[in-house]
Amino acid sequence: MMGAQPFETIVGAHHAEIYRYIRRVTSRPTEAEDLSQETFLRAYRAYRTLGPEANVRAWLFAIATNLTRNHFRSEKRRRVALQAASLERREADPDGPEDEARFGEARVLVTRTVGRLPLKQRQAFIMRKIHELDYEAIGQSLDCSAESARAHVFQALRKIRLSLDGQALSPTTTEQPR
Amino acid sequence: MTRKPQSCREIEADLVAAATGDAESGAARRVERHIDSCASCRGEFHRYREIDGVVGALRRVPAVAESMARAREGLESRLADLRSRLVSYRIFPSPLGHILIARSEHGVSLVEYLGGRSDLAASRLSRVSGVEPQEDGAEIEALFRELLEYLRGDRTRLEWALDLRLARSDFHRAVLRATAAVPYGAVTSYAGIAAEIGRPAATRAVAQALRWNPLPIVVPCHRIIGSSGALTGYSGNKIELKRDLLAVEGVRAVGARDAHVTRQALYHYERNEQREYCLPTCGDIARRPIGRVTLMASRDLAESLGLVPCTSCRPDLHPLAV
Repeated sequence: MMGAQPFETIVGAHHAEIYRYIRRVTSRPTEAEDLSQETFLRAYRAYRTLGPEANVRAWLFAIATNLTRNHFRSEKRRRVALQAASLERREADPDGPEDEARFGEARVLVTRTVGRLPLKQRQAFIMRKIHELDYEAIGQSLDCSAESARAHVFQALRKIRLSLDGQALSPTTTEQPR
Repeated sequence: MTRKPQSCREIEADLVAAATGDAESGAARRVERHIDSCASCRGEFHRYREIDGVVGALRRVPAVAESMARAREGLESRLADLRSRLVSYRIFPSPLGHILIARSEHGVSLVEYLGGRSDLAASRLSRVSGVEPQEDGAEIEALFRELLEYLRGDRTRLEWALDLRLARSDFHRAVLRATAAVPYGAVTSYAGIAAEIGRPAATRAVAQALRWNPLPIVVPCHRIIGSSGALTGYSGNKIELKRDLLAVEGVRAVGARDAHVTRQALYHYERNEQREYCLPTCGDIARRPIGRVTLMASRDLAESLGLVPCTSCRPDLHPLAV
């Protein structure tokens, strides 16, 4: 069964978000470029077999999540990525300094802590807290139950909380998004 | 950190969820009750609220337009490349042995007799460069059903978009296009096709091009025979298959290895201004080489091609016995 919409529509609707997701997980623009492309090339190959009722967005997140995991599987790459996340971001990521100037230290600290999380926790956290996917979809992406996905997010938040221990969050960062 | 009481540890996950807007209503109520009476957890709750605020701000950080645009641009070009390479296929058991059907986004690109084998490695798809084969289902199954109907004689046309990129050259493609125009129930020769594409001396090259026809049955190379009426070759040694395919269309052949079409049972047309078609007994038309003369299985076919009965031999008054 052919997916319900032409593939161009899928690219148009989801590429930017998938790119952002991978960029947040990898902390590196070149990897985000390449892996977001890979995600859609892989999706294109499988698109014909996708049922018309399928949740395309969750499906794309699952592909991106798997590709990113495979990408990090090589130990060497993992080390490089860890370095990238823990080094000054301005080296790896051209929008780092801008971030810092605009959003103050708490956000930088959170970003840095997220960058150091184990991959599954990092992916779960970003999917849930930044892209607001439901736990069912996150579980499918990570090949685990919705409950485990929830536990990953909890662990991530806990680590962020610990990294901010003793750190005053400035008033500008405490406004509620809801 | 001092060790927290049991009740605080138990509620921690719910507390974090509630503070970050992620708890079910029951859990949220439990957390509310707990922090009413526990100052330490209340502090934690507010701390997580603050963190949630920071995360919410991160959510709104715009991505870098430049890198994203580059990613998108690269994707468009890689996607275009993939589309041109991707060929989906499926292999079916059939009365003719296994048949592979493949299609690209432009149309059907390969119909291949695999004989006893049923794996991709037996197919030329696995050997051509610049092609990425991908096994596929429903869409190609519909094509196969039509092909079976055709082989049973329940269908006279396969109105498929074709992709001739697996042909070996532009010359081959020209031969295939001219061959595709030969209608159901009609027969012409290699020399006839050579003349048709403006290369009258290229008879052997035409035969060679049809030997490599990537779309047998669909591009009806079985309707192309020797000028003398000999069926000559078909897909290696499948001369009987050629005879069977012609018989389904009403064109009979006699003999085994040296099978010939029976011209006496076919209407003849040699190009003329009046567009008249003839009985094989009209003058010496039956002695002219096939190719200059097109043979047809029925008057219906002749007339569907806009031909009219010859005024001297009158095929309309003396139709051939079927």
